[in-house]
Amino acid sequence: MTRPNTGELDPGESAKAELRKYALGFVISVVLTIAAFAAVLSPLAPMVKIIAVCAAALLQVATHLRHFLHLSFSGGQSREDLLLVLFSVCLLSIMAGGTVWILADLQGRMHDSEATRAHGAARGDGGATSAP
Amino acid sequence: MSNGDNGLYPGLNLGAGHGDAHDQAETSVFGFWVFLMSDLIIFGILFVTYAAALDPVGLAGGPGPQALFDMRSIAIQTGLLLLGGAAYGGVSLAVKYDGGAGKVVAWLAICAGLGAGFLFFEIRDFLHQAQEGGIPQASGWLSAYWALVGLHGLHVAVGIAWIGASAAQIAVRGLDDVVKVRLSMLGVFWHFLDLVWIGIFSFVFLVPLS
Repeated sequence: MTRPNTGELDPGESAKAELRKYALGFVISVVLTIAAFAAVLSPLAPMVKIIAVCAAALLQVATHLRHFLHLSFSGGQSREDLLLVLFSVCLLSIMAGGTVWILADLQGRMHDSEATRAHGAARGDGGATSAP
Repeated sequence: MSNGDNGLYPGLNLGAGHGDAHDQAETSVFGFWVFLMSDLIIFGILFVTYAAALDPVGLAGGPGPQALFDMRSIAIQTGLLLLGGAAYGGVSLAVKYDGGAGKVVAWLAICAGLGAGFLFFEIRDFLHQAQEGGIPQASGWLSAYWALVGLHGLHVAVGIAWIGASAAQIAVRGLDDVVKVRLSMLGVFWHFLDLVWIGIFSFVFLVPLS
């Protein structure tokens, strides 16, 4: 298990190139973070601010995955790792997206008093007629 | 085997020059990614819970985002964690290019220090919010907030403990193959925490303040 290093490294890799990759990722992240905070402090419309913050967040997540976590989409890494990440993200988007959808729909129904009353009355009638 | 940008596995590859450690790392780091993805699901569901509670019903008359969140403190925490994440690049590169145990431990100490600074500001915010009546019991929105941000803070605390354990292992065993593989997993964990924080500062703090 504890074989000493041979000192051989891949010719395509060098400390300088990889350091540059980390530095670039860091600079992009700082710029995107500042952009997100600046957008919130700016006098823009709330909807524009929210879109700017979400866009900056997505770009920064992509930057971190590429520059810090070294996740690659080009197929050089083992397929299982990429599939694991993509499958987890897929599961999460089904659960998260579905939850938001159902709860937003439910909120729309419950806060519409007209619909609530009509629905409640119909259910009351149904209960009365079906009771033995 | 590993060609330039694309190693065997996601995360900074040790490289073929590290022999057994490089081969062993693929299996171990893959297993660790499985754990991280289950963690991602937990965080994701807490994010959705938070979003669902971010309305007048969820706030339940308790203190809201405008009253509780301090933009400056959030910006400081974001800066500290981002620096701490990038600093782990120093650990990974020192391990990969044989920078020596001293250099690795020094970078680990920088990461732990920045993580501790982050926790200091986060706990200060939590205490302040609790004083303002923003306790988890106050509303569904606050329960979701404390669960999500608290769980992330707990992860950072565990990360710092893990960094300490790694430094101790380097002191006892030296930078052998086993320690190198463990440092690879710690790196993926530490960078993942940064990733979750992007979601927290964007969607938990900045979106409600927009």
